[in-house]
Amino acid sequence: MKGIEFFRNVSIGRYVDVDSPVHRLTPVAKYLWLLAIIIPVSISGSTTVVLASSIVALACTMLARVRVGFLLRGFVPVLPLFGIAAVFQAIFSWPGDTSAVLVAIGPVSLSLRELLAIASMGLRFVAMMLAIGLFTSVTTEGDTARGVEDLFAPLARLGFPARGFALTIAVAFRFIPIVAGEFESVVKAQAARGADFGAGARGPIRKARAYVPLLVPVTIRALERAEALGEAMEARCYGVGPATRFVRSVGGYVDTMARIGAVTYLVMALASPSLLGWR
Amino acid sequence: MERTNIRRIVVSGALGAVSAVMAVTPLGYLPWFGGASLTIMHIPVIIAAILEGPVAGAIVGLVFGVTSMVKAATAPIGPLDPLFANPLVSVLPRLFIGVVAWGVYRLFRGKLTPLAAGLAGAAGGITNTVLVLGALGLTAAAQLSGTFGVSTSALPAVLATIALTNGLVEAGAAAVFTSAIIAAWKGVEGARGASRLSDEERRQP
Repeated sequence: MKGIEFFRNVSIGRYVDVDSPVHRLTPVAKYLWLLAIIIPVSISGSTTVVLASSIVALACTMLARVRVGFLLRGFVPVLPLFGIAAVFQAIFSWPGDTSAVLVAIGPVSLSLRELLAIASMGLRFVAMMLAIGLFTSVTTEGDTARGVEDLFAPLARLGFPARGFALTIAVAFRFIPIVAGEFESVVKAQAARGADFGAGARGPIRKARAYVPLLVPVTIRALERAEALGEAMEARCYGVGPATRFVRSVGGYVDTMARIGAVTYLVMALASPSLLGWR
Repeated sequence: MERTNIRRIVVSGALGAVSAVMAVTPLGYLPWFGGASLTIMHIPVIIAAILEGPVAGAIVGLVFGVTSMVKAATAPIGPLDPLFANPLVSVLPRLFIGVVAWGVYRLFRGKLTPLAAGLAGAAGGITNTVLVLGALGLTAAAQLSGTFGVSTSALPAVLATIALTNGLVEAGAAAVFTSAIIAAWKGVEGARGASRLSDEERRQP
């Protein structure tokens, strides 16, 4: 195994504690806008929609007083990939490509359609990075879990276990630093007993078996903690009686407008290419 | 503790945390020759499905998928990471890992437990490989052709090769881990006896 690192500080996304109009929205509004940006960017074939969504994501980032460079920092190592993909787009032509040729050097030519394809590829990723990064920057972990429950609350009336689902996510958040610490201590303990985790082993099956003394203890310990947590919850009468919650988030006028805005944007983004014939 | 709703919630949460930690640290990647690495982050999904049923497996699969999507979008490192920022590639296929693993485990449950667990692990690994590669091929054919340096028509053959080499080995590794973990949890001796550190010598009784 490579150097023994300190995993205890692992976190998924970083919360930026600033006060801004976006921070003040309820978790449901934040979720709705996240979906409103992610869904069109993932499935829409129209370049215009992707561009519009990128601009929306950028606007939200600036509105939230989060520095754009902070969110796009991770894009730099990936730039070479786009360079290579762009080169290949230029070399291989689409059959039946009748759009204007922009640059031609000998047999290699770059047409408008290919340029749009490259730009669309890059923009999609930038929009995803901005939207997801921004969401983790404006939403605390507790809000993320509570927001899930609020988001599925309408379905809860139909029997969907929104409370259980949100609780699973909250438990996962709480366990992440604990599990990371477990990994770290098991790695150190086994290394102290002379384990090398298959550094010199040949063959994938033998390498895998060498990881067993790491993965099995951590998983078993996680399951044991889960059992203890479950007993503690039962001892506090979880599941008996109606579900209550200490923190309630109530949005005002601005929040409701934000929610409506998100849903409207999503519907428009998905429907306009076919209705308006955009490319 | 009998199988209750609470148990399903906390087990899903705990295994979701294990999967998330493996996704964002180097722990989830077993180094393999040639610079590629095998991923083992789908193993908690399979465990959840075997222990608590297909719903728990689907939920842990969802946590795994969302974590890998968030990581691809906030801290990408490899050439394929931008493609994993798409939820159709990172989240949707992972929902099925648990369901398939649970089905296979149910089929073979009567026989030897570690064997059934191993088969379920292999099935889960194969599901992960096939569905993710399929989603990549369907959504990002142009980018993949660029990354691998082949034309778009040759892409299915390239993906199939990856599925066979990388995928089968990952399935084997998943089988090993799954049967070891399930055997340890249920207090049954593993297929080859208790696990040992790679440097210990086998002692004569």
